[in-house]
Amino acid sequence: MARVTTGITSSHIPALGAAIQTGKTGDDYWGPVFDGYKAIKDWIKQPGNMPDVVVLVYNDHASAFDMNCIPTFAIGCAESFKPADEGWGPRPVPEVIGHPDLAWHIAQSLILDDFDMCIFNQMDVDHGCTIPLSMMFGEPEEWPCKVIPLPVNVVTYPPPSGARCFALGDSIKAAVESFPEDLNVHVWGTGGMSHQLQGPRAGLINKEFDLKFIDQLINDPDTLAKMPHIEYLREAGSEGIELVMWLIMRGALGDKVKDLYNFYHIPASNTALGALILQPEETAGEALDPRVVHSGHSLATAAE
Amino acid sequence: MTEKKKERINIHEYLAEFDDIPGTRVFTAQRARKGYWLNQFAMSLMKAENRERFKADEKAYLDEWNLSDAAKQAVLDRDYNAMIDEGGNVYYLSKLFSTDGKSFQFAAGSMTGMTQEDYAKMMIDGGRAPHGVRSIKGGY
Repeated sequence: MARVTTGITSSHIPALGAAIQTGKTGDDYWGPVFDGYKAIKDWIKQPGNMPDVVVLVYNDHASAFDMNCIPTFAIGCAESFKPADEGWGPRPVPEVIGHPDLAWHIAQSLILDDFDMCIFNQMDVDHGCTIPLSMMFGEPEEWPCKVIPLPVNVVTYPPPSGARCFALGDSIKAAVESFPEDLNVHVWGTGGMSHQLQGPRAGLINKEFDLKFIDQLINDPDTLAKMPHIEYLREAGSEGIELVMWLIMRGALGDKVKDLYNFYHIPASNTALGALILQPEETAGEALDPRVVHSGHSLATAAE
Repeated sequence: MTEKKKERINIHEYLAEFDDIPGTRVFTAQRARKGYWLNQFAMSLMKAENRERFKADEKAYLDEWNLSDAAKQAVLDRDYNAMIDEGGNVYYLSKLFSTDGKSFQFAAGSMTGMTQEDYAKMMIDGGRAPHGVRSIKGGY
């Protein structure tokens, strides 16, 4: 039987890809970010940790979808997905290889579970999908696992509510668990954390909000899922609304989780960045050492 | 059959609250409709041949799209605040600043009235604090 073993969160900002391409991952600005991710890169290579399939939750940034088609929840069921040309040529990364059997199984199960999914058999994937892969796996010739892209509209209002995202995660868990093949499945929630990319308020970062969000995501997601959009917008910036997608990941892990790794950094370009490894409590592995890493402005490195 | 919903969000209240956030224009349906052609123009720059044609003669390329004069001028001026006033969305407009070889940080910084150096320094110093810019009416 397939099972969701792990939830991971990650930033997906294009500047991370630019840092890799231009060889800046070790400089003063980007070094702490890539150091923070190194623990995840090492962890995921260990026996038993590498997923067979990642259900990768992200938002399309007006790449595969334009103003003519705005699906709230979509799922990619194709054999493969090409990196999109977002105005500077496609990112020089491998094609994303899908898992059509599992993807179609999840799509059908979700629809029967009252989530009216939009199914895509041809879809390019933008930085929202490929940056997290680069951050976890570096620069391989081929990605080491299959990926089911699950784009969520968080651009044109209204995006789905936190509660709806949380419930979708629960339905994804049930769908995966009814797939007969023995597969290690991860669900990744990407984007965030606090950031605003537009208008005179651009550059907003809210450390207190972000750290409380991480804590509630781990320990009290039912309450967190009730947060209305206006609170994300006021507290985490107009693009901080991407954080609703983390609730899809959290919903797929069941009631209680253990955080194996908890990384937070300010700033990555315009954003605050959070990268977590979570596992269901009953099957959780050993925490990393250090488990909690905070770096960047006014964040002393904390270790426990 | 699934139970009927007992509570519903009031859409008018939901939308009205967005106007209470300082320095922020939320991409609502109203803005999406106004900016339809501006955003579709930006999307066209995802093709290399369109980027070449645009760079060769920006005005002529813009004239191929059903854009208001204000939207065209905003593009020619690379005035991202004005483009957002015309219904543009930053993720669509990213195709324009990517065509120019500019980053999200450049575009975001250009909308704040700060110099690029000052904006970059503000980010390194921890970003813009939320205090006082959450709510116009509430002043917090």
